[in-house]
Amino acid sequence: MSVRRPARRTRTRTRTRTQLPSTPWLFLAPGLLISAAFGLYPFLSTVAHSFTDARTLTGGRYVGGANYRELIHDAMFWTGLRNSLLYVLGVVPLLVILPLLLALLVRRHIPGIAFFRAAFYTPVVASVVVVGLIWVWLLDDRGLINALLERLGFGRVGFLGDPWLLLLSAMAVTVWKGLGYYMIIYLAALAGVPRELHEACAVDGAGAVRRFVTVTVPAVRPTMALVGALASVNAFKVFSEAYLMAGPTGGPGGEDTTLVMLVRQVGTGLSGRVGYASALSVVVFVLTLGLMLLVLRASRREDGA
Amino acid sequence: MRVFRRRAAVGVALVTSVMALTSCGGPENSDGSGAVTGKVEGQVTFQTWNLKAHFKDYFEGVIADFEKKYPDAHVKWIDQPAEGYPDKLSADAVGGTLPDVVNVSPDLAYPLAKAGLALDLEKAAGTYRGEYLAGAWRSQRMPGLPGVYAFPWYLNTGPMFYNKKLFARAGLDPEKPPKTYDRLFAEAVTMAKRSDGKTAMLASTPSIEDFGRYGVRLMNSRGTRFTFNEPKGVELLRHYRELYAAGALDSQALTAQAESAGRKFEQQSVAMNPGSALDLENFRKEAPSLYRNIGITDAVNNTGRANMYVQGLMVNAQSRVKPAAVAFAHFVTGAQRQMAFARKVAIFPSTRGALDDPYFTKEDGTDATRVRVAAARSLRTAVNYTPVALSDQMKTVLRNAVARAVQGKQSPKAALDGAAAECNRLLATG
Repeated sequence: MSVRRPARRTRTRTRTRTQLPSTPWLFLAPGLLISAAFGLYPFLSTVAHSFTDARTLTGGRYVGGANYRELIHDAMFWTGLRNSLLYVLGVVPLLVILPLLLALLVRRHIPGIAFFRAAFYTPVVASVVVVGLIWVWLLDDRGLINALLERLGFGRVGFLGDPWLLLLSAMAVTVWKGLGYYMIIYLAALAGVPRELHEACAVDGAGAVRRFVTVTVPAVRPTMALVGALASVNAFKVFSEAYLMAGPTGGPGGEDTTLVMLVRQVGTGLSGRVGYASALSVVVFVLTLGLMLLVLRASRREDGA
Repeated sequence: MRVFRRRAAVGVALVTSVMALTSCGGPENSDGSGAVTGKVEGQVTFQTWNLKAHFKDYFEGVIADFEKKYPDAHVKWIDQPAEGYPDKLSADAVGGTLPDVVNVSPDLAYPLAKAGLALDLEKAAGTYRGEYLAGAWRSQRMPGLPGVYAFPWYLNTGPMFYNKKLFARAGLDPEKPPKTYDRLFAEAVTMAKRSDGKTAMLASTPSIEDFGRYGVRLMNSRGTRFTFNEPKGVELLRHYRELYAAGALDSQALTAQAESAGRKFEQQSVAMNPGSALDLENFRKEAPSLYRNIGITDAVNNTGRANMYVQGLMVNAQSRVKPAAVAFAHFVTGAQRQMAFARKVAIFPSTRGALDDPYFTKEDGTDATRVRVAAARSLRTAVNYTPVALSDQMKTVLRNAVARAVQGKQSPKAALDGAAAECNRLLATG
């Protein structure tokens, strides 16, 4: 028995190599076709359209870089870029740190912890529209939060009327909704941190904070980089939260418009400027890619050091 | 390069063949004059705008009557939600799946007509012109285009609701609500002062209809340039800026949608809000304490003419069953069907003579009748103030300019000049 087995394995390998060389491609084909049809083709089409003056219902003429030149002089583009970058700066550090702390809190094995894990994860599975509407009602002039503030002797705060407060409110919702998702990623990473390191550290007299800084953080640093990259990309192309809270015009005077909201505003509807919206989309793509590479490179450099 | 050319040639041939096949496949349906003639047969797809939830029985009845009258025709009814309706239309138009008969407002019909997707009914079905109110038929004309691009369907106009309790609390006469803009502005400031800024008179900034009602000329006579930045428009914005500073305009007015403004009115933090007869029933169910204090008046205007909302039924110019589509659109918008629809919901028929029916002229003492009769009366002289050429993007440009002016970030003149210039640029490049 033990002599025959290797011979059988060899025969099988040989047959696979010689008779079915295209098998892997057959398995890959459906995925590749779907990716090409719904990913690659729309992407290439968007790039091509960005050099035309196409409208929703009319084919476009080639206009060279006119859309890109217009974009540089478009005040709304700069407002959108500013808001998208502010979103990254405001949201990403919180989404890297807070879920880690939350994960440390809920990984403990105490009675009823499963309830809290589920509770923290609930916003992730809730529809972003529902979440947005709930927060709009909470932050309304006559909403629960303002009623509490008034009861405590503070005045009402115009969360949904002031452009800056609106942007901060939208960021708060993004953080609130994202906490549970990144918490799960950190829980998986924390499970891989060797217990002996913590024990050795504790024997040396290190407290909880010191153990966190010297053991936990270095061990989950690659995960923090991943979370940073994911959160950056998601924050840069934020749409739903900002749209639901600031409305389709992007807040008072369009002050809270983000880049993706601008793409929607400009490019959709029966009179949408498809060419110009495509140019905006290409710029968003390039900036997102650049941002992601920047974050990953920074994390790699840190690992190297 | 040669391979690319060969492939391109094959592609063009293929597309041409498909186009030829699709255009030749349908029945002959046009005589020399452009009138659509031919046998009423085939399947007509009919798309409405958020009507199935409440009027399923009515439409199924209309469709059954039509199919009984034309046994060779069959109607497939599609209803789309209100949210994102223009996006759905544009996706269908681009994808070549636009239904045969489509429910549109004139501003939605305009880009479709410009793209050659809406049938010119002046040519195709001009014989029916006399059945509709002249103004309603005219409302389906599009600037720069020769014809009429939808059968006029139902009309509506909104009264203004106001909260009598809030008026009385501010020392204003609850039986004499403001009817002119000057009085509205003065009383709004009084109300804000006397309530310590807790009660605002209005919950939203002026839209294009408000500019129209204020007496601002919105476009030049040829419909080729926007003119809402003329002195009258600047004056309107100056007033709204004063209201905002005084707290007479709700603090969230700059981001308010119609629904959120309505919610403020239901919460009784805002004293006046436009609406329709449909809202009365909602108030009765959802805000009974408001309903007890509700006052109804005409929408404020300086022109003597109320705003008219118009709906139409457009026939797809590329329909393969044009005779049936035209016949069905005419059937739905006919006097009998419109009158039956008006008895089910607070809308008004666009057919000639329908508004003389006692249903629209005699009050029975209830609020609902009072709103209906007043609205029907005001419709006789009402105007659709929204220019059909004003696209969604232009509306956003104007709304942002208004917000900047109201906040004091830009002078009303500079804000409106900028908005008019941008809208004119979009109009010229469209």
